[in-house]
Amino acid sequence: MVVLLNRLPVADCPNLCHRVVDGLCGREPPRRGDYSATWSLEEWLELLNSLTALFHLAVGNNSSDEEVMSELSDVGSSHAETVLCVLRSRQEEIRHALLDRTTSMSSATLQDFDWQLKLALSSDKILSLHIPLLSLSLNVRENGALRPVTVEMNKEELNTLISSLEAANKVVLQLK
Amino acid sequence: MRFRFCGDLDCPDWVLAEISTLAKISSVKMKLLCAQVLKDLLGEGIDYDKISKLTADAKFEKGDIKASVAVLSFILSSAAKHDVDSESLSSELQQLGLPKEHTTGLCKSYEDKHSALQDKLRETSLRLGRLEAVSWRVDYTLSSSELKEVNEPMIQLKLQAQGAESGSAETTVVSIAADKFRVLLAELKQAQTMMNAL
Repeated sequence: MVVLLNRLPVADCPNLCHRVVDGLCGREPPRRGDYSATWSLEEWLELLNSLTALFHLAVGNNSSDEEVMSELSDVGSSHAETVLCVLRSRQEEIRHALLDRTTSMSSATLQDFDWQLKLALSSDKILSLHIPLLSLSLNVRENGALRPVTVEMNKEELNTLISSLEAANKVVLQLK
Repeated sequence: MRFRFCGDLDCPDWVLAEISTLAKISSVKMKLLCAQVLKDLLGEGIDYDKISKLTADAKFEKGDIKASVAVLSFILSSAAKHDVDSESLSSELQQLGLPKEHTTGLCKSYEDKHSALQDKLRETSLRLGRLEAVSWRVDYTLSSSELKEVNEPMIQLKLQAQGAESGSAETTVVSIAADKFRVLLAELKQAQTMMNAL
């Protein structure tokens, strides 16, 4: 129930709203301890959920100002203005977070990657090897757990990979 | 005595012993034997029937045949490993008591296959995984439960790689968001440039 927001002085409202958006974007959400005088635990959870849902839906459905304001009809107008203001200023950030969530719906997504270029000098088979090798380590998020995948490539294998990725990139660029 | 084809170390005793076994067959036959061993080293397969025929008139027993194949295999691969030229190999083998004609035949075969042998050794050197195949697909996400209008491309990538142990194939399927994909490609190209500059 967003109406609970009315209990907070308007001056403190932007701070809370921004923290709620932080939480939605995967950073630290507001702490209950800071607001324990204003709301009971139950009220706090309810307010937090409905504010988060409001931001989520407004960005997810690309709602107009009027639509958001009608959602906020039972909140005082200055409170509602503040919520809308926070929503508009952080719209892109929220959209990005939702986009991230959309991408990570797949069973395995690339979290990040690292690479290392090495020159193999010598081996048990031959004294002077002199072959450049690239280790590519992909951190793949699979069902919530990170799984490292490492591939070692020589020049030809790297060329194969890059030309494949180039072809895919060409298609991606055409879409933009 | 230290020998270059042994990596500037002493010649192993068993090699020393089996060099005299090699001297028992004719130099022509030994050259043919050499060709078979080289085929084996180059991964083209060895014809054991031919080998037993080649060594038949020297009355070689099974043990002698094995020993001569092993010693030729050692000499050729060790010389290639340490990048010894055929003249040095020739003089070292003669110091070890291999007759001149035998040495000439062996070194001629070695000289012919020297670079092929080194390429093979390079190729079979330890690798921690190899990339075997890449497949991709570009998706365009229209909408999701999180976001009504997504309209972002997404790349599905399948990498087939061989693990550190031979025969352990590993297939990874991963989806990559468009912006991450661009970074990945740009960084790989950067690495490629550095690799080509080496």
